[in-house]
Amino acid sequence: MVVLLAVVVIGGLVLLARRNRGGTRTDHARTDGAGPGLPDRPLGGRRVPAALMSQGRIEACGLTKEYRGVRAVDDLSFTVEPGRVTGFLGPNGAGKTTTLRMLLDLVEPTAGTATIGGVRYAGLDQPIRRVGAVLEAGAAHQDRTGRDHLRIVCQSAGIPLARADEVLGLVGLGVAANRTFRGYSLGMRQRLGVAAALLGDPQVLILDEPANGLDPEGIRWMRDLLRTLATQGRTILVSSHLLGEMEQLADDLVIVAAGRLAAQGTVASVISSMTYPGRTLVRTPEVGKLAAVLGSDAVVTPAGDGGAYITGADAAAIGDAALRAGVAIHQLVTQLPDLEAAFLKLTAGKAAIR
Amino acid sequence: MTALLDSAALDQAGDTGTTPVRLLRAEFMKIRTTSTGWLFLTGFIMFTVLALTINGFGSHYQLHPQQGLASGAQALAQAAQARSPAGVATMAASMMTSGQRIGVLFALLLGVLIVTSEFANQTAAVTFVTVPRRATVIMAKVYAAACCGALFWLVSTVLAAVATPLFLYSQHVSTSLAGWDVTRSVLLNLLGFVAWGVFGLGLGAVLRSQTGSLFAAIGVYAGSFGAEPFFSELHNLFHQYWILAAPVIAPAVASEVMVTSGPAFPYAPPGWVGGVILTGYTLALVAAGIALTKRRDVI
Repeated sequence: MVVLLAVVVIGGLVLLARRNRGGTRTDHARTDGAGPGLPDRPLGGRRVPAALMSQGRIEACGLTKEYRGVRAVDDLSFTVEPGRVTGFLGPNGAGKTTTLRMLLDLVEPTAGTATIGGVRYAGLDQPIRRVGAVLEAGAAHQDRTGRDHLRIVCQSAGIPLARADEVLGLVGLGVAANRTFRGYSLGMRQRLGVAAALLGDPQVLILDEPANGLDPEGIRWMRDLLRTLATQGRTILVSSHLLGEMEQLADDLVIVAAGRLAAQGTVASVISSMTYPGRTLVRTPEVGKLAAVLGSDAVVTPAGDGGAYITGADAAAIGDAALRAGVAIHQLVTQLPDLEAAFLKLTAGKAAIR
Repeated sequence: MTALLDSAALDQAGDTGTTPVRLLRAEFMKIRTTSTGWLFLTGFIMFTVLALTINGFGSHYQLHPQQGLASGAQALAQAAQARSPAGVATMAASMMTSGQRIGVLFALLLGVLIVTSEFANQTAAVTFVTVPRRATVIMAKVYAAACCGALFWLVSTVLAAVATPLFLYSQHVSTSLAGWDVTRSVLLNLLGFVAWGVFGLGLGAVLRSQTGSLFAAIGVYAGSFGAEPFFSELHNLFHQYWILAAPVIAPAVASEVMVTSGPAFPYAPPGWVGGVILTGYTLALVAAGIALTKRRDVI
C-alpha cells in the first residue's frame, strides 16, 4: 500500500514540476491548422455555412424547475437563432438566471430539455470551444489575478495559455491583468467575465446581465462587441433588465414573467403586439371642443391633469383642427410605443417576489 | 474586433494531455495562484521548526536529566533506557516525525479549502461550465489534495532529516536513520498526510460551506481525542475489553494507531486497523462528495 502510494505521489510531483516548466509545451505548434474539436468555421470569415448555423441554435423545450414547491421556471419553450442578438427579459425573480443555468447544465431541470445545436451542453465535446458563458460578475477568486483566472480556464479546457492575454487585450483589461480580482470594479469584473467567455472563440454566447455595473462607455463597448459577434453569425443570448439598452441592442426578444414565457419575437413585433399603435398627448383648456372638430376616427381619452390622449389622428391633423376651431393648444406630443410600455404590460402583476 | 477571430494562440496546440491530467494541472495552478496555499506552506514550515525545537529539548532532558531532582534515580534509569540502541531508535523516529501528528491538520484544512473556496468565491460555476464532467473535476481535486498532503510531509521530513542527525551528533548518541523503525514511521506518516488531505477534500465536497467545513474538520480532529475518555467511561459501565479498543473508530485516533509503532494506548488494536479505518472514512467521504456534486445544482 505504501509503495503504491509513493508511486502515485511521486507521479503527481513530477507532473507539478513539468507544469512549472510550462511554456515550452506550446512550442510544438500543430501543423494541421484547425484547433482540436474546432469546427471548420472560417475564422474571420463573414459568411457562415447553413450547417454551422444550425449548430448554434439554442432550443428550450418545456423547461421547468421547481424549488421546494415554487416553480421558478414553468414549462418554458423558446428558440434562439444564430446571427442575431436575442434579449432575454423579465422582472427580478422571473427565472432568467435559472433558465440560463439550465442551458449550461449547471442546474438540472425538473422537466423539459435545453439543447445547443441539438445537443445538451454537458454532451458537447470541448464545450467552451462551442459555447461561452458570462455568469455572475463575482465569479473569480478574490486573491487571484485576472490573468491567472483566465489561464486556469485555458488549462482546464486545453486551450493554449497565451490565449488568456489575447482576450484580456480584447476586453481592454490588459493593464489590469496582474491585479487581483478583489481590486476590480464591477465594470472590470464584467469585462473579465466576457474575456473568459471569449477564450474558446465560441459559436454561441450566453450572457447573464453583462451590462450590470458598466459605465456608459462600457455599455456602448458591450453593445458594439455583441453586435459584431452576431454579425459574424454567432448566437448571442443576453439577459438583462435594462430595457432601453435591449431596445437598441437586440434583434429578437424572449420575455419571461413568473417563470413562464410572456412573449417571443422580433423587437418590433413584441412592441407592436402589446402597445397602442402610437398616440398623441394634447393639453388644451377646451378638450370637448377639440374632440368635436376632430374626425370620427379620432378617439379621445382623458390622461388626467387636464391632458388627453388622442389616437386615430396624428399631431399635424390635431394641430390643424385646433387652428380651425380656434382652440388653444398648450402641449402637443407624439408618443411612440416603446419596449418599456410593452414590457410593463406583459409582466404586469407578475413581478411579485415569489 | 477582428483580433477576436485572428487568434494566434488558438491556432497553436493547447495542452494535449488527457482531461484528468489537464484538470490536475489546473488544480495545481489554482493552489499556486492564491495566497492561501503559500500561507499554509509558510505556517507549516514554522510549525515544524517549532516542533523540532521542542522535541529536541525534550529528548535532551531525557538523555541528560537534571541532577538533584527528587526522582533522580528514576530519571537516571530512564536516561539509561533512552541511551540504549532501542531507545535511541525510538527517539530518532520521534524526531524524524516531529510535529507531524498535529501537522496533518494543515493538510486536512488545505484539502477542505481546495474544494470549498470554489463555492465561497462562486468559481464553481466557471469550473463546471468549463468541464461539465463533475466527477472528473472532483477526482482531480482529490489527487491535488493528496499531492499537497505529500508535499507537506516531504517538507516536514526534509527539515527533520537535516535536524535529526545534527541533534543526535550533538547529544553524542548515534543510530542509523535508515533503520526499519525510523523508515516505517516516516512512511506511515506520508500515508497519514495524504489521507488527511483527501479526508478534508471529501468533507468540503460534502458540506460545501467554507466556514462550516473548516469548523467540522477541526471538530472531527479535536473531537477524536474525546473518544478515549468516553469509551473508558463506557468500559467502567459495561466491563467489556473490546470497548477499550473502540476509540480507534474516531478518525484522529485511527490515524494515531496507524503511525505509532507500539500500541498507541492500552488495548489499542494493531496499526493496520487504524490505517483501514482512516482510509475507509476518507474513501466514503470522497464517494459521497462525488455523488452529491453530480446531483446538486450549481447556483
